[in-house]
Formats: sequence, C-alpha cells, structure tokens
Amino acid sequence: MNRLYLALRFLRRDSRSGELTLLMLALIIAVASSTAISLFADRINRTMNYQAAEFLAADLLLSSPEPIAYSILQQGNKLDLKQSQTTEFSSVLMENDEFLLVGVKAVSANYPLYGYLKIRQQSYTEEQTVYHGPKSGNVWVESHILSALKLKLGDQLRVGEKALHISQIVSYEPDKRGDLYSLSPRVMINSADLEATQVLQAGSHAHRFFQFAGSEENILTFKRGLEPQLTVSQRIMDVYEDRPKLGSALQKAERYLGLSSIVVILISGVAIAMATRRYSERHFNSTAILRCLGYKQNQVLQLFLWQFLLIGLIASTIGCAVGWISQEVLLHTLRELLPAKIAAPSILAVFFGMMMGIIVLFGFALPPLLRLKRVSPLRILRRDLVPLPSSAWLVYGLALVLLIFLISQYTDDLKLTLGIIGACALSLLIIAGLAYLLLTATRLLLAHVNLTWRFGLQDLSRNRRSNIVQVLAFSTTLLAIILSFTVRTDLINDWQQHLADEAPNHFALNVFDDQKEALQQELKQQGVKVSHFYPVVRGRLVAINTTPVQQIVTKESQGERAIHRDLSLTWAKAPAKDNKITAGLWPSQRKSHMVSIEQKLAKSLKVKLGDKLTFTIASQQVTAQVDSIRKVNWDTMKPNFYMMFSPGTIDQFAHTYITSFYLATEKKDVLNQLLKHYPAMTLLDVDLLLQQIKRILIQLTAAINYLLYFALLAGFLVLFAAVQTTLDSRIYTGVLMRTLGAKRSFLQKIQWIEFSVLGFIAGLLAVLMAQLAIYALYHFVLKMDFNINLTLSLLVPLASALFIGLAGFWGTRSVVNQSPMQVLREL
Amino acid sequence: MNSKIEKDNASIIAVDKLCKTVNSHNGPLTILSAIGFNISSAESVAIIGASGSGKSTLLSLLAGLDVASSGSIEILGQSMSELNEDGRAALRHQAIGFVFQSFQLLPNLNALENVMLPLELSGDKKAKTLASDLLDRVGLSQRLTHLPSQLSGGEQQRVALARAFVTRPKILFADEPTGNLDSSTGDNIIKLLFELNKENQTTLILVTHDQRLAQRCERIIELKAGRII
Ligand SMILES: Nc1ncnc2c1ncn2[C@@H]1O[C@H](COP(=O)(O)OP(=O)(O)O)[C@@H](O)[C@H]1O
Ligand SMILES: [Mg+2]
Repeated sequence: MNRLYLALRFLRRDSRSGELTLLMLALIIAVASSTAISLFADRINRTMNYQAAEFLAADLLLSSPEPIAYSILQQGNKLDLKQSQTTEFSSVLMENDEFLLVGVKAVSANYPLYGYLKIRQQSYTEEQTVYHGPKSGNVWVESHILSALKLKLGDQLRVGEKALHISQIVSYEPDKRGDLYSLSPRVMINSADLEATQVLQAGSHAHRFFQFAGSEENILTFKRGLEPQLTVSQRIMDVYEDRPKLGSALQKAERYLGLSSIVVILISGVAIAMATRRYSERHFNSTAILRCLGYKQNQVLQLFLWQFLLIGLIASTIGCAVGWISQEVLLHTLRELLPAKIAAPSILAVFFGMMMGIIVLFGFALPPLLRLKRVSPLRILRRDLVPLPSSAWLVYGLALVLLIFLISQYTDDLKLTLGIIGACALSLLIIAGLAYLLLTATRLLLAHVNLTWRFGLQDLSRNRRSNIVQVLAFSTTLLAIILSFTVRTDLINDWQQHLADEAPNHFALNVFDDQKEALQQELKQQGVKVSHFYPVVRGRLVAINTTPVQQIVTKESQGERAIHRDLSLTWAKAPAKDNKITAGLWPSQRKSHMVSIEQKLAKSLKVKLGDKLTFTIASQQVTAQVDSIRKVNWDTMKPNFYMMFSPGTIDQFAHTYITSFYLATEKKDVLNQLLKHYPAMTLLDVDLLLQQIKRILIQLTAAINYLLYFALLAGFLVLFAAVQTTLDSRIYTGVLMRTLGAKRSFLQKIQWIEFSVLGFIAGLLAVLMAQLAIYALYHFVLKMDFNINLTLSLLVPLASALFIGLAGFWGTRSVVNQSPMQVLREL
Repeated sequence: MNSKIEKDNASIIAVDKLCKTVNSHNGPLTILSAIGFNISSAESVAIIGASGSGKSTLLSLLAGLDVASSGSIEILGQSMSELNEDGRAALRHQAIGFVFQSFQLLPNLNALENVMLPLELSGDKKAKTLASDLLDRVGLSQRLTHLPSQLSGGEQQRVALARAFVTRPKILFADEPTGNLDSSTGDNIIKLLFELNKENQTTLILVTHDQRLAQRCERIIELKAGRII
C-alpha cells in the first residue's frame, strides 16, 4: 500500500515534469492503432457475415436436386433452427402467342430467413420492402416478363397447369444466384401452388434449397451431423465456413492491416524502450538515495513496476478511447458505403487493447527498468558508478517473443513468422554494420572542414555506440514506413482494376454461334465495350493420365467442387490478357489436343505439365495434354476458365459463347432490348457484387491510410525519444562551452549539423534496405518486375536529414536556451 | 537487541583489520588497509585526512554501502559480512542516518515529502507530523512544499539533516556536510548538526578535511593514504 502511494507520488511528479509524456504518447499510439484496427476489422467482418447471411437468405443452405429426408428437417427442429424452402426450375411460359423461358422459384412461408424482397406496382411507383414471398394464388414477376408476354399487373399468368394472379413486380431477392435458373427472368410463386402447376414430374430438372437459421454453434453442429448423410449431388454452404469470398483482395488486405498494426506497435515499442531507458537513467540517483535510506532491491523495483503498471493502465485506457473514437470516425466517414446495419463494436476488442497496452509496455520497458534494481547505494558517493545494463538477451529476447506472438496472430503461419523475424534481424545487423562504417567514415572528413562542421561531426564518430543505436531506431522506423507505404500503394493499384469505373459489370452467356456477330455489332452500335467472346463447351474431367479422378480427389479438397460438376471448357489461340503462365509455354501455334489448366486446380488435383487429362463431353471422351499452367485472377469480372484447350480439340462439340461488358446504369434499358433480340441469351448482372467489392476496398483503403498516420506519429515519437536520450549530456557540454565563451548560434549549428548527418545516414540505410526488401518481395514472392524507385531513393535521405535535423534542433533548443547557472545547479 | 547494547554501553561500531582493494586499470589498488577502531554509543568521532586518503571509502564500508575486501565491521553487534544487500538495506533503515556533501534529496519530492520518505518506508502513521515538526526544528516551516531545486544549498542541507534525524537513528554518518556550502552557512549547519545530535543521543561519524570542525568531536581518527595514523 505504502509503495503504491509512493509510486503515485513519483508518478505525479514525473508526469508533471514531462518525464513520462513521450512514454505515454508512444503507448497511447500503439494501443489506439491496434484497438482501432481490430475494432474496425471485427465490425466489418461481422457486418459481412450479416451480408453473407443475406446472400444465402440463411445461415446454412442445403441444395439438392431431389427432396431431402424428413429426418434432416427434424434434426434442424431439434436444434431450434428456423427453416424455409425454395424450389427453382426453368419453364417456358406462353401467353398472348409469345414464348419466354423463365426461372420459376417457389418459396415457402418463412422465406426469406434473412434479407428482404423488393416489390412494386407499376413501373415507376415506389418500391416496397417486404419480408415474405407471394401468397398462394398470387405470382410475382420481374418487370420485363410483362412486356415480353404482353401482360400487365392484375392479369392471369399460367405457370404449367395453374393460373395465378400477377400481384406484384419483384425487383430484388436476396439470394439470387448466378446460375441458369436465376438468370432467366424471375417468376416467384408460393410453394403451396407448386404441385398444382404439375411442372415438376418425377425426373424433371429442379433445384431444391433448404435454408436454416440459428446460432453459430447450432448451425455448425447441424452441419457436422449433416455432412456424412449427403449424397453426391447435395451441397451445403454456411456463412461461417463457406462464406462467399469477396476475392483474394480481402484476405491480402486483412493480413496487410494486421502486419501494419504490428509495425505501428514495433515503432512505438522502440520509442517506449528509448524513453524508458532515459527514464531509468534519470532515476539512478533517486534510486541510490532510496537504497541508502534502506530500500531493498525488490522494494525499489516494485516502486517502479507499480508506476509503470499505472502508466500502462492510464495510457491504455486513453489509447482504447482514442482507438474507439478513430474507428467510429472511420466508419462515420464511410457510412455511405456501408450497409445500414453495421455490427456493434465488441467490448472484447477493447479489453484486448488494454491487455496489448500492458504487454507492449512491459515487453519494451522491462529491461531498462530492471536495471534500476542493480543501482548501488554507493552511487551516492561515486556518481560514475552506473549499474550494468540488462543483458542483451533479455532486452531483445523479450521484444522478440512479443513480436513472434503478435505476428503469428496475423499470419497463422510459423514459417512465415520466423521468416519475417529472420529478415528483420538480418536487416538490423546489416544496418548496424553499415552505420558503424559510415559513422567511422565521418572521421575522415574532419581534417577538411571548418570549425563548426568539425564540432558537429566529431561526436558522430566519437559516441559511435549511442549513435548506432540512434541510426538503428531512425532507419528501422523509416524502413517500416517506406515498406508499408510501398506495399499499400501496390495493394491499392492492384485494386484499381475493381475500382476502375469501366470494369465489366455484365456477363452474356448462352450466345449461339450464329448470333455472335450480330450481338457484337449491336453492342458496338450502343457504344458498349465488349471483351473477347469465348466459346463454352460443357464437360466433365474424368481421368488424369489413366487414373479416374474420383480416386485422386479427396473430399473437402479444393478440386472437389470443380470435379463433381460440369466444367465450362473453352479453347483459344491466345491466353486471356490478365492470365499469367506460371509453368510451361503457350506458343502462338498451339498443337491440337493441348490444354492449359488453372494453377490452383492443378495443385489440388496434383496435375503437372505433360499429364494427360480425359474429359467426357456429350458422352464422348476427349484427351488432351497439359502444356501450361495459368494463374487466373478470379476477382476480375471477365470470363475465366479452369481449362483452355488449343484450337481444333473440342471445336466440333456444340458450344455457345460467353462475354462480359460494361454497361452504365443509365443505359440499363439496353438489356431489355438485348433480351428481346436474343431470347435464348442469358444476361448476368454483377453490378451489385462489384459495388460491394468496391465498397469494401474503399473501406479497407481508408483503414490502411489511418494506419499509416499512426505509423508516422509513432515515427515522430521515436525521433523525439532519440533526441531526448542524449539531451542531458548535450545540455551539459553546451553549458560548459557557453561558459567558455561559445556563441549560441555556434552551438545551434553544431546540433543542426550533427542531427542532419545522422538523419541522412539513417535515411540512406533505410532506402537501401527498403529497395533490397522490395526486390526480394517482388522477385521471389510476387514475381513482378522490380524497378529502383529513384525519386524515393533521393527523397528519403534528404527528407530524413531535414526532419531529423529539425527535430534535433528543436529538441535540443534547451541546450542553448537554458541559463548555465540553472543547469550547473541542477547537476 | 538495541536496548541491550545501550545498557552495556559496549562498542556500537567495531572495526578490525579492515582492507579495501579495488581493481583499477593498473592492477589492484589498495585504498584502505589494516584499519581498526571501536566507537561507543553516543560518541562523536571525526574522520579526517587529505583528499583521496580514503575517508569516503571508509564511511561507505561502515554504512554498508559497499563491502570490505577483508577484515570485519560490526555495527550494533551485527557483522556486516554476514549480511547481504537487502540485509544491509534493512540495517540502514533501522539504525543509520546520512548527510552528504551534495545533499542527495530526491528532486521529484518536495521538502516535506523528502523528510517523510524514510518514515513511509516503515509505514509510520505519524510520518507527516513528525516530518513537519523536524522541518520546523531546522527552521524550514515556511518551505515545506518547495522542491529541492527551489531551495538554496544551506536550506537543502537542512532538509537533509531533518531527513537524517527523523527516524531517530542510532548512528549518523556525515560526509563533508559543509563541503558545498560557504563558511557562514556551513557553520550554521554544523551548529544544527551538533544540536540535533545531542538532543537525539546519536553516535556521530563525521568525515571532514576541516581541522577546526574535527575539533568539535570527542575523538579524531586521521587517515593518510588509507591507513590510520
Ligand atoms: N572503485 C574505485 N576504483 C578506483 N579507485 C577508487 C575507487 N574508489 C576509490 N578510489 C580511489 O581511492 C582513493 C580514496 O578515495 P575516497 O575514499 O573518495 O577519498 P576521500 O573521500 O578521502 O577524498 C581515491 O584516490 C579514489 O580515486
Ligand atoms: Mg570524499
């Protein structure tokens, strides 16, 4: 109790004298950034779970071509799962001498379990949001069914044998899939009327969907029970494990965010370690006095640990608050891009922020603090008696353990984590070695410069040890900032494809051979840019070399999905522009019976170059040899294929064409015209999906920018912490020189020169290491071309010299401003 | 333990064959050798000698701030060599007070808090009243909340005196207490020191190179190059 009281006293005094400001700020930044990012990521993530549930209109979806066992529904009941069913099939409607292929969807009373439907009356009246499907006897239709079949609201529409009353135009359904049944214009009926239509006879083609909703635990229990009972043609999908992926962009971004927040923590950690070192050095005397007065070693240590615990709690609380606010601000600025319903922030994230604060503080502050324990009371009589520094093992070991822990949190991959740590350690060593050389080299200049420069430079080589530490701190900070800035720029550039305004937002499928030319012509007339038309042949992969695929593919593996259904096969002279050949060659004159396979599928099926793949197409067998492996960016909304054959291999089979194009919102009526001219063609509107990807990427970019601000702030703190560590001895020499008659301007210039040169060296080393790191990253990981960034290479050392010079100049202004009397008295 | 010693009036400090050797750049350096003396309770002893003769080193050994290379020191019947760091700290806290040439106040704490500090360590409830009484006694009742940097040298040394006496120590070590002060201020401090010493019946070991000051003590031990002469 008593020690806590004293700790509070010390704390109050120290914080008043500004002794702790830097330490607190560094900790606040570390906690604020990690809290803000984890809160933000967590909320976006859970918001996306909501949205995924809306896309499925359920938490779990079971799809099956035939009715499912009643016992399955009962299992769902037992687990308190809400349930609904939909049945989808295509049917040709005939009214007023017009024919139209439509996608019928019969929905049960509970549909949709999540999300809503949008319906309206006449074309231009207001849309209405409802949470149920049509009543029995009614039918809802998509608007262009009315024009195509020359009908109007209130008319009768015959679906199979049943005449239904057209009561609403349906314009939105949450779980509209991009498959054949959903692509044809929608007709929605109540499942109570399904039997009366008599469309579904035994053996007719339909898709049945069974939706379930409930708690995550119950859903997953249900799923585990269900999996072994599934037939080959049944599929389950849930929002937790099979959430429709919004592309690899998101995953990359999550990793980047995580790793960048570690960068912020690391930089803040450097500032914390430096500030604590100075703090403990400034408390050597007080500690010696306490020891003299009879304090035991552990009592002294406790006194300081209490202080730091209090500091940690206070700073973490402030940090959490700042993090919370910045995250709210971030979401507020993005509110127009976000769905109306955003997941609430979780209190747990705040708790972790607090924990993180305490852990980071002690991880970086403990070694210098432990030094205080070893202060000898004899220091009272002999000022030069400094306690031994904590062992390097402790200093770096503790920070290292902390880093490994933090990084593995985000990478989930020990090898990668150790790789990152190893690269960091190596860079530190290289920087330290080069800094040693450069600092030594400044000595060579001494003979050739004037007095001011000589005084400015001589300390650089003289206090080499402490200067190397400073250079290390500066250049690692700069390095971290450069790297995260570069990667950020590349990530954002990578996303520009999605964010590009004219990215294709519609697919046209089922275009017949004889319509291709005409369609191309018509789109051109409308001023619509069309990408390549790819032929599509449906086929199934049955064997690799001589082994049937069933024996190769394990369930759950990535290849499984691609194998148990028909694949869209195509042939082409040239690979798609955004595909990259990762193995083999794609010669301009390809021999027939060759096939290029997508990289991930190849890996999952263990297919290598030269393997022979056998496909069943229209009950014939075709064999082709793998001549290349391609990397495909599935995120781009352009037609892409797992298998691309050489011309002359599968051309003889019946095929249709697929293409994609961009259509501005105000030109949407072109679609109706197209559907009228090409009734068999299927148009797929991916605008919504694109919009969503765009939104998420914009959110992430904003979050990433935030992190960069935090990193910059932390970098500035390191700067001031470093300047402060040598401030005392600078003040002392400054005062002595002034008593000996040195002018203030002379002293100012010396500080300015010393810090600028230090900054220049740090900047130079940071650029060097950054270019090396980026080269390694591009060359070995991303396989991209590397160009030395000359502007950056010049700008960073100069900017660093300027800023560090300024910070040093500003930070040491007390060296020239304090009265010598006061300084000598305080000593 | 303490009361028994007081009754016998035996030696409160007993030093025998004390040696201190340190390792310097040019090999081992003997700072003190073959030191031996006894000091009885409430006695006042001056240790004098030229600068560098080993006075401060002797004092640091007596007060348990450092350990001897050989020989023995007994304080209040307790052999110092048997105590570890923390044991010596406990002994200092129980029985020893200090006054130093450079005052050694905690810069973070004000005058009152500095004086309260040793009492707070033992959880004394009356720390505040005792401390302000003593500051009153040394004439600083108006400066309780001043920080050391806001006090003159003489005032700082008076705070240090108050801090040294507030725990009513058995032994007070003073290392050149007037070394940083002008002569008239120094004289005032010495006057106060001896007054307080008398009031508290403290054993005083005063290190100085000032013969005049040494004369005020009951006994003088003179060091020359690390030996008693
Ligand atoms: N740890 C040490 N290492 C080297 N020399 C020391 C050490 N401690 C004391 N000395 C030397 O021992 C001598 C005695 O010092 P000290 O006891 O401070 O003398 P005094 O207080 O009488 O002036 C001095 O010459 C001092 O330099
Ligand atoms: Mg001395």
